[in-house]
Amino acid sequence: MDFQAYNKILICRENIQNVEIDGNVIGYEFKIKYPSYRGAFLSCIEKLEFEVDGEKIAREDVYFFLNGKQFLIDELPELFKEYWFIKDKATIRIVKEGGIANGDHSVNVFMVHRVPYTGYFGQYLVLDSNVTTTLTASN
Amino acid sequence: MNNNIKLGVSLYSFSTEYISDALDLEGVLKKAKELGFQGIEIVAAQMVPEYPYPSDQWLEEFRGLLSKYELTPVCWSAYIDMGIRSDRDLTEQEIIQYTLNDLIYAKKAGFKMVRTQHAISPKIFKAMIPYCKKLGMQLTIEMHHPHHPEVEVWKEFFKIMKGEGKGILGFVPDFSIFQKSPHQLYINQAISSGFREDKMVEIIKKHEAKVPLEFVLQEELSDIEKEITEEMYHKFSAPAKIEQLKEIIDCAFYIHGKFYYLKDGEHDPCIPYEEILKTISELGYDGYIASEYEGHHFDETIDSALQLERYVALNKKILG
Repeated sequence: MDFQAYNKILICRENIQNVEIDGNVIGYEFKIKYPSYRGAFLSCIEKLEFEVDGEKIAREDVYFFLNGKQFLIDELPELFKEYWFIKDKATIRIVKEGGIANGDHSVNVFMVHRVPYTGYFGQYLVLDSNVTTTLTASN
Repeated sequence: MNNNIKLGVSLYSFSTEYISDALDLEGVLKKAKELGFQGIEIVAAQMVPEYPYPSDQWLEEFRGLLSKYELTPVCWSAYIDMGIRSDRDLTEQEIIQYTLNDLIYAKKAGFKMVRTQHAISPKIFKAMIPYCKKLGMQLTIEMHHPHHPEVEVWKEFFKIMKGEGKGILGFVPDFSIFQKSPHQLYINQAISSGFREDKMVEIIKKHEAKVPLEFVLQEELSDIEKEITEEMYHKFSAPAKIEQLKEIIDCAFYIHGKFYYLKDGEHDPCIPYEEILKTISELGYDGYIASEYEGHHFDETIDSALQLERYVALNKKILG
């Protein structure tokens, strides 16, 4: 049951925003925080998956923004110099033509992440953070 | 009674408020001062925004805040994050370099001590001596539950601390090693995940009465109740012996006064503070005890400052 209380901070309660370029809505964004008491490197994220309104988002449709940079989900395992400070929000951009409709949406974030130090018996603790919440889109 | 023990605080105690943005770093330091603490510990990977390479600007701001609130920087807490890479563990050389990095930035921030973890290994711990000497820094390893003085690797650590590392390398006993029963927030969490309250009360009584786990598991329990009962037995059945501190107190440069929940400032039902504090006081310990509230891992609705207030009262009651 250790480390479970921090899952509550994973999905930030800010509205979902559509992303518009020259009048074309190319997708939408919401924000997440690292669900722990301490910061870690992005390489410690072993899995990061999203579901919106019950529909699984393909990982090639996701961009991850942090520290003023933009990453692909498949790049995360290599980012052992990219530190995710505990107070910083990462932006998740989902590419979807037309974006998302106004109103409430159920958002699920599933993150598997490794505590980068070994525990008292020499093993890494790998945590599942699986959180679903309702976020509002108002564009 | 020896009254030279100083009460400090690990800023980690304010995790709930800090992470929820109710308090920023200055707010946390201000609270620490208001609660009467003299010295502070920072978990660098928690509250240093540019960790592991804080800028000179941030370090200067931080030192400014410490002097504004008249707080002494006592301990910079570091980790042995040897699993940051996905392809392999860090090598010994890399762990040395990362540990040196923490020593350097801790020094720049005004600290005289870095606390690291047991995973540093005796070999690397020893290899850090020349760096510590050069920087005028102490390096300590935290002894946290489920470790205790009789764990094999600790015998090697103590040999180094008492030998060539004397005065430079030390350890930080965390009072979690003396915890003998589950704390209230653990119990609450178990109940909210489906453990029947009456069963919980019954099993805690049996655990206290030292009824063996295999007998307790013969009762009619749901899967989650079984799982938590097993976890409870594994966690809280082998507290370290307080009298063992006698042989190793000379290596204790610092202490973590761990606690999870206090319902008043009188007594902690899980960690035998009366006996522990009397023992370390009689042994002449005169360093800091860092008040370390850790209930935030179990319940983020608890007011950390109020918990710390009770903790101070408890310590004062016992130490006078």
